[in-house]
Amino acid sequence: MSAARNYPPPPDVIAGRVAWVFGDDFDIDLVIGVENIKSYDAEFLRSKVMQAYDPSFADRVRPGDVIVGGRNFGYGHPHYPPMVALRDLGIAAVIAESFSPGFWRGETYNGMPLITVAGITAAAGTGDDVRLDWRTATVALPGGRTLHGTPPSERVTRVIEAGGSLKLLLAEHART
Amino acid sequence: MGATITEKILARAAGVPSVRAGDNLPIRPDYMIAYDFPGYTDVMFRQMHDDFGIRELADPERYVVFIDHMLTREDAREQEVHQVTRDWCEFYGIALHEARGIGHQVMAELGYAQPGNFLIHFDGHISGAGAFGALGWGVRRDLLEAWVSGRIFLDVPATTRFELTGEFRPGVDSRDLVHRIIGDHGADGCAHQVMEFGGPGARAMPIDLRQGLCGMAMFTGAVSAVFEPDATSLEHARRVGGGHLVPQSPDADAEYHAVHHYDLSTIVPQVVLPGSARSANTRDAADLDGTAVTKAFIGSCASGRIEDIRAAALILDGRTVAPGVELNVVPTSDAVHRQAEDEGLLDVLRAAGAQVARSSCDFCFGYQKPLQPDENCISTGVLNISGRMGSTDANIYMGSASTVAASAVAGSITAADGVTGR
Repeated sequence: MSAARNYPPPPDVIAGRVAWVFGDDFDIDLVIGVENIKSYDAEFLRSKVMQAYDPSFADRVRPGDVIVGGRNFGYGHPHYPPMVALRDLGIAAVIAESFSPGFWRGETYNGMPLITVAGITAAAGTGDDVRLDWRTATVALPGGRTLHGTPPSERVTRVIEAGGSLKLLLAEHART
Repeated sequence: MGATITEKILARAAGVPSVRAGDNLPIRPDYMIAYDFPGYTDVMFRQMHDDFGIRELADPERYVVFIDHMLTREDAREQEVHQVTRDWCEFYGIALHEARGIGHQVMAELGYAQPGNFLIHFDGHISGAGAFGALGWGVRRDLLEAWVSGRIFLDVPATTRFELTGEFRPGVDSRDLVHRIIGDHGADGCAHQVMEFGGPGARAMPIDLRQGLCGMAMFTGAVSAVFEPDATSLEHARRVGGGHLVPQSPDADAEYHAVHHYDLSTIVPQVVLPGSARSANTRDAADLDGTAVTKAFIGSCASGRIEDIRAAALILDGRTVAPGVELNVVPTSDAVHRQAEDEGLLDVLRAAGAQVARSSCDFCFGYQKPLQPDENCISTGVLNISGRMGSTDANIYMGSASTVAASAVAGSITAADGVTGR
């Protein structure tokens, strides 16, 4: 909790590529491996991120890329370092069929856009260019295809605009 | 259109006439609960004090802290962690309950979990409060929002209704039911919703088994679970003497996302394969018959209550734990421990070869007697992800207290209903 990063808020439209497509009930801890889920060390996380899926992942991801998930993305007992590892590389959003509530709440607090878009796993492939208007949950894919998901609530929109709940709460409630 | 229990509890807590699933609004919890754990409470207290400049709380009585983790090594690190918590709680005038058992149980014994109450915690197993007709919601780091503002913005969840009939057969309990529900409806079958339990099967269910069931709600994707208040929970509320009794029952025309029917007499023992509680890992215990185990554990916030210990004692009475197997039993609280001692149950367990430890959370998260590589453990703990109870190369199977006891006797996974009543 104390070692989380200070990431800036996302731009209005996140433009990048689909860095990976995960399946249903994906346990986020597997991104770095369950034996590594207690470290926030940047170099360590970079050396572990996605090793089980694509050893070249850290080198090929560019800021603005997104990951795509299936149903119930984040299921399990999510720890924070796996998303820190992905965000350190520049992963700017997760687009999924649906999110597991605990993961959704924890990462929304951290200001990560988690956008629910039905049909995304069938429509998007690794390497596809993608433009995400996260406020309206609109995803533009190659070939002029556009998907419309569920926009975040007004409160969650404000959390993401602030760069996370802590910053929003400080703006609202700090007495210092 | 009428309202669910959840809509009524949240409307009352929000101070508005009514709310509907999908509404997003700030809600005032009756109690805002945490257990002390490094990186959580110490950080939150420091943020509250240093970053928010809060020197005094408007309603300190709404803040509750338990010390129930990291109690068994008795080293300097533990003392340091707990002293930080003691100092902050003294500074802010917050109730601190130290080493009386697992907070999710002790909160009920102390009257925080009362029919109609709304409780939040950073930990999701607060949902066990639903046994008492309270709504307990694990909000992770958003607990800070409530701690600094007194309120928390939440989406009012939809509800899936579970109509229960019948009674469990011997050797079967609510732990088997929750895994059956996951098996039937998936690990997101109740995603972002509340599970609401009612019907004659719910009313006949002992409060301990309701706690075990509600406490596991997150593995269906639910944010919480709640039983209709009834004679059992109201009697408990009167006994512990809570002052905030506002029981909420659903309206007859409440709107549910789905309604599922379960006849409890048809449920058979369930075991979950190592990895997670998802449906693909849920098996009839009989299908795993013969899987060797070396460790067995009865405890956690989802088990280890008097009904669980009685069930284990029924199986262990006159039998012994198999050679090469270590059975550890951790009552859910000191009060449960005393009752089990008074009833002679712990003598039965010890005579069978079980080891009984003082109540804490430490076994369940691998802090006390961590599992070694390649060990197989059968457990009533709440999680079986890799590394949860020690080595990431150990395997954790999950089942009911009866199944764990029967498996400890056999030295391999054994469906308890075949053993009971010999």
